[in-house]
Amino acid sequence: MSESPLLKLDQATIQFGGLIAVNNVSFELNKGDLFGLIGPNGAGKTTCFNIITGVYKPTSGKIFFRGRDISGVPSNKIAQEGICRTFQNIRLFQALSVLENVVVGGFLRHKTGLFSGLTLLPNAIKETDHLREEAMKLLEVVNLSHVANHRSADLPYGMQRRLEIARAMATQPDLLLLDEPAAGMNPQEKDELKEVVYRIRDEFDKTVLLIEHDMKFVMGLCERIFVLDRGLEIAHGPPEDIRSNPKVIEAYLGEPV
Amino acid sequence: MGKFWTVRIASVVAALAGCFIFQTVATNLGNDYYLRLFLLAGLYVTLSVSLNLINGITGQFSIGHAAFYMIGAYTAGILTRAYYEQQPLLPELWLVIMMLAGGLFAALAGLLVGLPSLRLKGDYLAIVTLGFGEIIRIVATNQQSVGGSYGFSFGPKVVAPWMVCLLAIITIAICRNLLKSAHGLPFLAVREDEIAASAMGVNVTKTKVAAFVLGSALAGAAGAILALNEGYLNPDIFKMDVSFLILTMVVLGGTGSITGSALAAIFLFLTIEIPRNIQTADGQKVQITLASLLMAGLAIAIAISLLRKIKDHFHGPPNQRLIRNLGVIGGSIAGAIVLSMILNATTVMGDKTFEFDKLRMVILSIMLLVVMLLRPQGVLAHHEFSWDFVKRLFRKDHDDKAEVAS
Repeated sequence: MSESPLLKLDQATIQFGGLIAVNNVSFELNKGDLFGLIGPNGAGKTTCFNIITGVYKPTSGKIFFRGRDISGVPSNKIAQEGICRTFQNIRLFQALSVLENVVVGGFLRHKTGLFSGLTLLPNAIKETDHLREEAMKLLEVVNLSHVANHRSADLPYGMQRRLEIARAMATQPDLLLLDEPAAGMNPQEKDELKEVVYRIRDEFDKTVLLIEHDMKFVMGLCERIFVLDRGLEIAHGPPEDIRSNPKVIEAYLGEPV
Repeated sequence: MGKFWTVRIASVVAALAGCFIFQTVATNLGNDYYLRLFLLAGLYVTLSVSLNLINGITGQFSIGHAAFYMIGAYTAGILTRAYYEQQPLLPELWLVIMMLAGGLFAALAGLLVGLPSLRLKGDYLAIVTLGFGEIIRIVATNQQSVGGSYGFSFGPKVVAPWMVCLLAIITIAICRNLLKSAHGLPFLAVREDEIAASAMGVNVTKTKVAAFVLGSALAGAAGAILALNEGYLNPDIFKMDVSFLILTMVVLGGTGSITGSALAAIFLFLTIEIPRNIQTADGQKVQITLASLLMAGLAIAIAISLLRKIKDHFHGPPNQRLIRNLGVIGGSIAGAIVLSMILNATTVMGDKTFEFDKLRMVILSIMLLVVMLLRPQGVLAHHEFSWDFVKRLFRKDHDDKAEVAS
């Protein structure tokens, strides 16, 4: 643990008018972590994601990624820095095919200029083919290669969730933020998803931060959990501690799981 | 690599052949009026495909495309008036330079209007572009140096039909290449979901501005061709109607489809121009009675309602559906005629008549109405013409025959 943390929130606060959505939240993520962010509805979890990915600028406090201050940097720059996310309410490029969705993610690392694209020079063709191949590999990881040419809007819900993960993976991030990846999935789909998340962490060497409401899923998957309520931190630690923490039980869990 | 160059050379040869055919047809029309229609139809292809890049592919609702067309035309006109006499170049070469200049100025205007207003979305952007179009036109109307509302003329005229065709081909090629390579995907991603696109590392502003600049530049080049072809310009040529006509072409053809925009441009342009010239055998304008107009409206209404029912409840192979739909349309027309006879419409409504050419815009709007009711995504929707499709058609045909034989 001698190296500096991959992501560090330092007293991040964001205020919308009179509402403090995230209040003085600080936590650190080390490389290779599987980190869970939980809390009741409206606790500020997705807002946390939004300030990390540059959708909002924090009112005060700082966010460091690999030791560099990234608070207030625009979304597309943050994606280039190596943080990519999925969305709570799925945001696929609906009219595009499954493969094209993933290629958009991979396009972040493109090298040829727009002119090559407009004139379809050999290097643009080569790059396009290369991006498609890479995208195909990612689709295999999330078990979607058989529907690569379908319109993404036509996929069933669970597949759309996995496609969002593949699309985010295509940007080659170091840190992957998953916003309720298991929402609306059946138990079997959840098990598949768990496999995918483990593979992402172990084979692809990514750090994962995820928001989730399904306690069984989070407790089984994450190594550390951070609990938010009304913008404030109420607990932080390994799943066993969280499960028995009286504050968490009162605010969120209701009774021990 | 070998294949790449084969395809490239073949496309260039095909494009040149296309220009040659266009030129031959244009010069053999034998009538200046038809020649002008022919050229304008070609220019409208460029205009609608370039607007499709902004509206259809990048999803930015712009309705001021005539402004960029106008800027290109006025740039060419003003420069020709000022400098043509002092230079030794061939008229055709001058035309190319004017297209570049017109394109450049239109692109600058696109950048100027694009940068501040692209933070707006949907209707708000539409209002800004509409306003921009009007501002440009009114500025020209009040500038005495370009003749105000009377316009100004300049010489010489450079009539180069092949250039119209070449520009249309270049425009189509640019858009098609963009969609074929991964470089087109950020544009489509911005259309689909800006927030997600941004989260995937797409620079949304840069992408929108690129689309605006590129689309405007192509429209500006088209304007330069128009200017040198006419030798005369006035602000009324670029009224709001033109913007809306181009927009209608894009929407009708299928937002996002290059093939759709190009075909709709030709089709719509001819639909509003041909009725101007329909005459009876003795050279009179064609008259239409009120009764027959109402019956035509009735026939269209019956056909739409039946076709919508069919669309909701029946599925089948496309050719069967086509035959059924055509049957319904034919039936509706026949039904309307029978009805008009039973009701004795002509006698009841008297002999009030309209001139057919005054109904051009009515026909256009009814057509748009029908398409929007039956196929809101446009005639071709997102589909594109491709050689694979043609091949499949033939192969299917072949397979069918084989089945029959066995």
